[in-house]
Amino acid sequence: MNRKRNTLAASNASHPSRFARRPRGQWALLASPLILFLLIFLGFPTVLDVIYSLSAVTFETLRSPVLSGFGNYGDVIADPAFWAACWFSLRFGVITALAECLVGLGLAIFLTPLLAKRSWLMAPLMLPLMVAPAMVGLMYRLVLHEFVGPVPYYLNLLFGNSPAFLDADTAFWTLIVVESLQWTPFAFLLFYAAYQAIPEDARQAAQIDGASAWQLLTRIELPLMAPTLAVALFIRFIDGFRVFDNVYTLVGSGPGGVTASLSIYIYEAFFKQGAIGKAIAASILLFLASLLVLVAISWLGGRRKEAAA
Amino acid sequence: MIRALRWLVYVVAVLALNLPVIVTLVTSFKTGAELTINPGLWINQPTLDNYLGVLTITDRLNIYAYLGNSLLASLIGAGLAILLAFPAAYAVARGEFGRKLLMPAIVNLRAVPLIIFAIPIYMMFQWVGLLDTQLGLGLILTIVNLPLAVVVLVNAIADVPIELDEAAKIDGAGTFAIMVRIMRPVVRPAIVTTAIFGFITAWNEFLFGLMLTTNNAVPVTVGASFFFAASGGGVQWGLASAVMIVGALPPAVLGLLMYRQIGGSLTAGAVKG
Repeated sequence: MNRKRNTLAASNASHPSRFARRPRGQWALLASPLILFLLIFLGFPTVLDVIYSLSAVTFETLRSPVLSGFGNYGDVIADPAFWAACWFSLRFGVITALAECLVGLGLAIFLTPLLAKRSWLMAPLMLPLMVAPAMVGLMYRLVLHEFVGPVPYYLNLLFGNSPAFLDADTAFWTLIVVESLQWTPFAFLLFYAAYQAIPEDARQAAQIDGASAWQLLTRIELPLMAPTLAVALFIRFIDGFRVFDNVYTLVGSGPGGVTASLSIYIYEAFFKQGAIGKAIAASILLFLASLLVLVAISWLGGRRKEAAA
Repeated sequence: MIRALRWLVYVVAVLALNLPVIVTLVTSFKTGAELTINPGLWINQPTLDNYLGVLTITDRLNIYAYLGNSLLASLIGAGLAILLAFPAAYAVARGEFGRKLLMPAIVNLRAVPLIIFAIPIYMMFQWVGLLDTQLGLGLILTIVNLPLAVVVLVNAIADVPIELDEAAKIDGAGTFAIMVRIMRPVVRPAIVTTAIFGFITAWNEFLFGLMLTTNNAVPVTVGASFFFAASGGGVQWGLASAVMIVGALPPAVLGLLMYRQIGGSLTAGAVKG
């Protein structure tokens, strides 16, 4: 009946099965290729990150960093462009997550009667998820182009003029729309599954008690979907916060750097300015920030479970 | 009445969400001359010239090289992720191995901005000669794919009744044999879905392709953007559109064929424990 809750329970279950009494070494052996791979491609880079963030280094002295204390961190913290990038990423993550979840939730609830019987209708809705965000960024260069783009063309036909979509004042909101249109289907998919997983007897019971459609939605269905809503908001926030591809291919860091997300800031500090130490120090700060968020989330999740128990 | 309204909302949503793809598709069938006088969504004189142009090798554009690089790197990225994730997932699901450290670490990797690792990986690759190779790119795409592969496979294995393993054990099969001969065929659908989803993700990746390749291993996502930047005297929009359509086609076709399964994979990360 409720597949989603089942898998959740299955992955949560930590009952030691009879099977687990086998020698632990055997299991460790099976997991060891993965662990080794992670150590090489994530563990070692993290160590390098820490060393280089505390070193003076240029592209010429890449192999012989000289420890120099926290100077790189000082450079980052003193750089207004870093804080501008933080502010961009934070706003971008929050606004796109809210927009995608709001529209996705609305679509899921409103379209379920249509889609439940004709599941092939899902495919066109999911197509945006299959296209590379970098490609979508490039495509919008065409869509919004003042001479060959259909959007300015039709706006001109209808209203006699068309705004600049990618100047310093408008680029942020254009990017919000671009990102939201591509990832609303992701939120939609989550809500669609959650909406269908609501047990039919919960709905029937409410209807027998004389609940209106609106009451059914706000008192029964939305509360049951609240955990999914939290998860969707979190995932969409994370992806919006670390945005790179579509922003980079559409406008780069934008006029005067107004569209530099943290990822773009780090990329440009490294490749365009050759400020290796600064780029890496900014990476470490970003790493610490994401760890902080993850710890806070799991702490909140733990408290919720305790409260429920 | 409300039914008509639902259809209307559906059609508007599909058109709005797919606007960039629709515009690019339309433009790819327009001649250069038409494009300057008709930027709309209607084609007066459809042409295949842009596609012929894309499929012809010139010194500025060799689409086959880009597609080949994407294909090879994505196959490594999807395949290696499965090879690493499957035994580990078996150990997690059946041996309760790594529930405390390995699983949380790998699941949360989904939420860590990967640019953090990009610069040191760039250095590492430079030292060992993996920079600008399909293998190097494939190894990093493996990292991108691992979180979802582990989560999906752990869930799939946990859903298989433990009696199956026990019966095989009584018949004298060892852990490794059970994993390969019993579990692998049973969870084959999950493995296939994970592989296809991993392939799509890898194909569509951009950041590492941009940072770790320059000439020989450039994937099509990056190659398409080169094409925009490199064309002096204005972009040839018809040709550029055809490049994007060709580059976006493989994951789009795979995704549309497998949309049911892909939907499940996409959202699997969301129902992590």
